[in-house]
Amino acid sequence: MGEKRRGLSPRERSEWFWGWLFIFPTVLGLIVLNIIPIFQTIYQSFFKTGDFGKGNIFVGLKNYQKVFGDQEIWQALANTFRYAVVEVPFSIALSLVLAVLLNRKMRGRSFYRTVIFLPMVAAPAAVALVWRWLFNTEFGLINHVFKSSVSWISDPGIAIYSIAVIGIWSILGYNMVLFLAGLQEIPHDFYEAAEIDGASGVDSFFHITLPLLSPTIFFVMITRVIGALQVFDLIYMVIDETSPALPKTESLVYLFYRYSFVNKNIGYGSTIVVLLLLVTLLITVFQMLAQKKWVYYG
Amino acid sequence: MKVKSWTALALSACMAASLAACGGSGAGESGTKGAGETKEAGESTGESDAKSDASGAELSVTIWDNNQEPGIKEILADFTKETGIQTKISVVKWNEYWTMLEAGAQGGSLPDVFWMHSNESERYMSNDMLLDLTDKIKESDKIKVENYPEDIWGLYTYKDHYYAVPKDIDTIALWYNKKLFDEAGLAYPTADWTWDDLTEAAKKLTKPDGSQYGLALKMDNNQAGYYNLVYDKGGYIINEDKTRSGWDDPKTIEGMNILAGWLKDGVIPSAQTQTENGEDVLLQSGKAAMALQGSWMVAAYRDNEYTAENCDIVELPKDAVTGKRVSIYNGLGWAAAKNGKHTEEAWKLIEYLGSEEAQRKQAELGITMSAYKGTSDAWAKSAKFNLQAYLNMMDDMVIRPYSKSTVTWETADNEIITKVYTGELTMEEACKKMAEQMNEKLAEEK
Repeated sequence: MGEKRRGLSPRERSEWFWGWLFIFPTVLGLIVLNIIPIFQTIYQSFFKTGDFGKGNIFVGLKNYQKVFGDQEIWQALANTFRYAVVEVPFSIALSLVLAVLLNRKMRGRSFYRTVIFLPMVAAPAAVALVWRWLFNTEFGLINHVFKSSVSWISDPGIAIYSIAVIGIWSILGYNMVLFLAGLQEIPHDFYEAAEIDGASGVDSFFHITLPLLSPTIFFVMITRVIGALQVFDLIYMVIDETSPALPKTESLVYLFYRYSFVNKNIGYGSTIVVLLLLVTLLITVFQMLAQKKWVYYG
Repeated sequence: MKVKSWTALALSACMAASLAACGGSGAGESGTKGAGETKEAGESTGESDAKSDASGAELSVTIWDNNQEPGIKEILADFTKETGIQTKISVVKWNEYWTMLEAGAQGGSLPDVFWMHSNESERYMSNDMLLDLTDKIKESDKIKVENYPEDIWGLYTYKDHYYAVPKDIDTIALWYNKKLFDEAGLAYPTADWTWDDLTEAAKKLTKPDGSQYGLALKMDNNQAGYYNLVYDKGGYIINEDKTRSGWDDPKTIEGMNILAGWLKDGVIPSAQTQTENGEDVLLQSGKAAMALQGSWMVAAYRDNEYTAENCDIVELPKDAVTGKRVSIYNGLGWAAAKNGKHTEEAWKLIEYLGSEEAQRKQAELGITMSAYKGTSDAWAKSAKFNLQAYLNMMDDMVIRPYSKSTVTWETADNEIITKVYTGELTMEEACKKMAEQMNEKLAEEK
């Protein structure tokens, strides 16, 4: 054992040992499945990769030069942002309202909670398939009900927002559960005291619920932004490869998929993900700095 | 504390041990098979030993077409009856198929026997991923090279070595909806049609309110669709030695302009419509009166009530000027993994699948036309459609254009063509762009 740990009491040492033992499986999984691949990806982004991982040629920063000059990449980045800007705020706001409503004592509470959480349990492929039919221009339920003929998922102008609607719908339940957990932490006395002082429900929401829930909101926001920047499966499943809307909906991860797994250009694909990694890091750092302004740790 | 923690450790160790035992029992069982043969049971290392035993080998077979699975299963059952070698088939959809195969090739875990396609074959052959069948074919009395179309061998030949045995052959024909033709008071298409006749009929079959279109032709339907127009006019997509694109050839553009005319006349549904509902859906729902479809679609249309009732097939139209009636054709191959555990058995299976007997059965069951010459006649009787049209299209065939990076330039081509459908580009601009990007990618192949 190292010098530093000599000062540890037996109890501390035991805690140290057990702590590491219990997180060991997770850490091992993280290292093998996430951390090593991250570095491999960064490494590969400097290569013109050969077929089946053989015959890689070092090309320095060439892939990066190409990425920065590639109109398609910037369009994909814009698409990704457009998706995130719609999905994150709406999914947070809606699920917050739902959580507050379903936190009260009411009939059928568990039923509503379950229904709203259900999309989270459904397989993404099934979700995409169902929405694809709902949105279908010719035979879709939405156009049928509204007697319209909007190409929800193949009109380049609106397709990305249709995708975002599916995204919001899918994530609502999960966010709501997190908010519900946060709401249970807020002591009931605060609301009673506010009520005695004559505060309305809306006042309590803005002056008690929101500030005390802000750490949870912050957590949800960080994870959702990261999640939204990685959007792929919905686009892949809902938007056909030949769709005229594809150039305006494909996300960075979608391009990564196409370059790495369809075109088998793994080097360039890796470069795209490294770009995404940098963008995500930047946004997350910014959010971390900004939290001081609004997150309240009581 | 200490006592407690050590008991906990002991307990968890027990649990881990029991888990490991669970996992190990499978290997243990198969190990006993091997142990029976070797005297020193301790040396048997389980899995690998047991599986080298031929009778215990199970060949994994992977294909991508759901429609063909039931028929191929029957043929595989015949093979098992004859040789005692077990097989296990799995179907993986086209897109995922190539992702899976790529990962399998890289990780050394390819299926034992699987389909190969001209889009990808060269990458796999040139990287030594496929079992070299050259000597085996030479020694075989079932597989004779001359019994299969030369061009299909060409797809699976690399440096004069064969890496797959031809499985099938496919051609293109015109599907039409009899009911819609009757409603419009038009005579059904015949083998004497020219593309102009098709244009005229398509105009009459298109309703202005968008409820019905003359022809469905999706943006990425090159093989069954616009490639045929190009070759009818004497154009080409890629040159013989695969170094240059033919997209900007004047004759190619002339062929593509037939498609441009259809788009201008509005006889083809919009890109939006076709991207959401493929040609098959449009034909099956009576929204499109005609579609150019490959012979691999027959099973699907046969099993669909509407198309079985209302649709039929005729040869592709001819070009009025050149008099040519070209069908792009292609053929899949049965390939085996080079580093597979059961290459001997895999070859036996491939040899069987390529044999006259199995090829004839494949045609009879209506799975597809077979590559073995003269075995496809039975296929024409496998459904109530005029399947003879597909066989007649064999008279003038051009192999589906391919190179080492087919997928890469085809994907880009499709994206550019889509812009013609949406009106962002003229056909001529698109052809120039496609030539440009394709030449770039062909240069990188070297």
